[in-house]
Amino acid sequence: MKKTFAVIAALFILTGAGFANGQKDAPSPKGTVTLKWALWDYAQTVYYKPLIEAFEAAHPDIKIEPLDLGSTDYQTMLSTQLTGGDSSIDVVTIKDIPGYATLVKAGQLLALNDYVKSAKVDLSQYNGAAEQMTVDGKLYELPFRSDFRVVFYNKDLFDKAGVPYPPNDMTWDQYDALARKMTSGSGAGKVYGAHYHVWRSIVQCEAILDGKHTVVVPPYDFMKPYYERVLKEQKDGVCMDYAELKTTSTHYSGVFYNNSVAMMEMGSWFISTLANQIAQGKTEVRNWGIVRLPHAQGVKPGTTVGTLTGIGISTASKHRAEAGEFVQFLTGERAAEILAKTGNYPGILNDTTAGILAGMKGFPQDANSRESLKTAKIYLEIAYSDKSPQIEAALNRAHDNIMTLNCTLDEGIAQMNKDVTGILSK
Amino acid sequence: MTAAELSVGSLKGRRIKDNLVAYSFILPNFLGFAVFTLGPILFAVYLAFTQWNGSGPITFVGLKNFRDLASDSLFLIALKNTLVYCAAVVPLTVISSLFLAVMLNQKIFARNFFRTVNFFPYVASLVAVAVVWNMLFNPAKGPVNQLLSLLGVPDDRLPRWAADRNWALFTVILFSVWKNTGYYMIIYLAGLQGISQQLYEAATLDGAGRRQQFTYITLPQLRPTTFFVVVMLTIQSFKVYDQIYMITQAGPGTATLVLVYHIYNTAFVDWNLGYASAVAMVLFLLVLAVTLVQFRGEKKYANE
Repeated sequence: MKKTFAVIAALFILTGAGFANGQKDAPSPKGTVTLKWALWDYAQTVYYKPLIEAFEAAHPDIKIEPLDLGSTDYQTMLSTQLTGGDSSIDVVTIKDIPGYATLVKAGQLLALNDYVKSAKVDLSQYNGAAEQMTVDGKLYELPFRSDFRVVFYNKDLFDKAGVPYPPNDMTWDQYDALARKMTSGSGAGKVYGAHYHVWRSIVQCEAILDGKHTVVVPPYDFMKPYYERVLKEQKDGVCMDYAELKTTSTHYSGVFYNNSVAMMEMGSWFISTLANQIAQGKTEVRNWGIVRLPHAQGVKPGTTVGTLTGIGISTASKHRAEAGEFVQFLTGERAAEILAKTGNYPGILNDTTAGILAGMKGFPQDANSRESLKTAKIYLEIAYSDKSPQIEAALNRAHDNIMTLNCTLDEGIAQMNKDVTGILSK
Repeated sequence: MTAAELSVGSLKGRRIKDNLVAYSFILPNFLGFAVFTLGPILFAVYLAFTQWNGSGPITFVGLKNFRDLASDSLFLIALKNTLVYCAAVVPLTVISSLFLAVMLNQKIFARNFFRTVNFFPYVASLVAVAVVWNMLFNPAKGPVNQLLSLLGVPDDRLPRWAADRNWALFTVILFSVWKNTGYYMIIYLAGLQGISQQLYEAATLDGAGRRQQFTYITLPQLRPTTFFVVVMLTIQSFKVYDQIYMITQAGPGTATLVLVYHIYNTAFVDWNLGYASAVAMVLFLLVLAVTLVQFRGEKKYANE
């Protein structure tokens, strides 16, 4: 009796396990194709929904399903899912060039050359970005967003201190002097003249603006003067301590919102976030402006650092044709206008989009801010190289050591030279 | 039962049947273990001799990965940091948990309350606690440094904790000791309560003081417990990752880079899975060696 019961119970468990398949994806209604779009920060970013709605309205037989992989580990999560053979992801947003290099190396992006030809996409509308994304003659992503760096400044703090606003053509020395002038107070009410977020690109990319060097080619002694300036500012209390920023994971937005920082180098993507937060009343800062990044001697004002976010198609996707249509939409004029309307910089930067951007609600209305939107030349934060992820890791480590004063500047640069030379020689 | 049924053949058949029943009970769990744990481990051992980026072909490269280990400065730094971490965490945790257990084994006021308070850090979420720890140990605004400052430490001598290359590993060690002491305290309490009272009574009759009773009765009687605690702590400290990720992210620079962190970076950021498996093999052999040494040592002591 007991034995029979045990056998029956075992059979129950085994067959029950066979039914525990979990929830399968809801099948699309007949005739429609659902595309999965990998992205980050869906809830916090204003333009995803308008873009999806506009596309679905124009293509009633295609539905778009966003897949939010989070911002912090986006690249790792994306790579892991694609490496695992996930065929459900169709369209991918590619955050930066090292991420692009990783995906291209693993063969996870579809080459778009044939598609560009057949759909007659005009690559020149991207102002040279498409060429920078071309690897061995093949293009694996199209430019979606093109952000560049500017200096954000807090007009209220400048008014309070009686100091004139920063101009659009500062040299680095003038910027340094201005930051020192604006530093005041101590303790909780201290105002820092400048703010450098913990990313290595904030400091290191200042050095590539003369066009003579890139971040992927050692030796890195050309970065020395820029590090010296920032380290001195850190020592004199003109900017916040890197080590503290790192261990407290302080976000650059918080310190600008609460009026502790007079000027800050940051990317143009922050413009729409800032305007949004002020409109919602979530910040203490009210009046702000942007000016061009400072320039070195002999460098044209308006030369700045940029980063490209692209859109690509996964090679494992089962809906390549529909994915291609979505990619064309996202990198086309209509999407560029939607992006510009929400204050973001599309890959297509022409007079129309520039005009929309300047007219955005909350965009500072002074002449300098509008002028700073016109860039002279944009240098990529990190150029394409199939070793750029490893190079970036080595540069990050050295940056960490230098900024936390755990080694001297010379030692740090020597370490960078050694590490990157080693990586390139493998 | 007739003599025929009691024959040898029937006994063997009985034993075989008993064995089969026993195995069928173990089978479900073992199947899960084999598929989800043993299989991947064996695959990782195989991967250590190959080169693979996760989505391309797997190419056999023999011992190349192991040869590369010697020239990988990051691996050597990670190895050193892991060994230092282990050498610090194990004795500190053993001493603190033993001390607390002895204290809380006596009949003192609110004994259960204090036991709960000491056990609480172990059950608290590591992520939440690590974030609060970082706030407490903030070099400029944290309460810890403010307290030190009040006690007279000059501002430029205040340790910068997780932001300082020389203090970062110590900060993580401190965190781990504090978090895990409660768990090992419970284990020691169980061990203490297993010591026969007669031994203490006999010792008191012979005139032994409290210190002598501790050294000559408590400690030796706790040897099996201590052995267990040390082995568990050693294995745990070689595997450390969560605390490093939450408190310092292997920084500043490479001051708190540990083996598992290096394996993760090599495997899932650089996508060099073959090399990462080789490092994982080294870690496995290291832990195995240390544990075997501890087992040998225990056997020697137990035979006294």
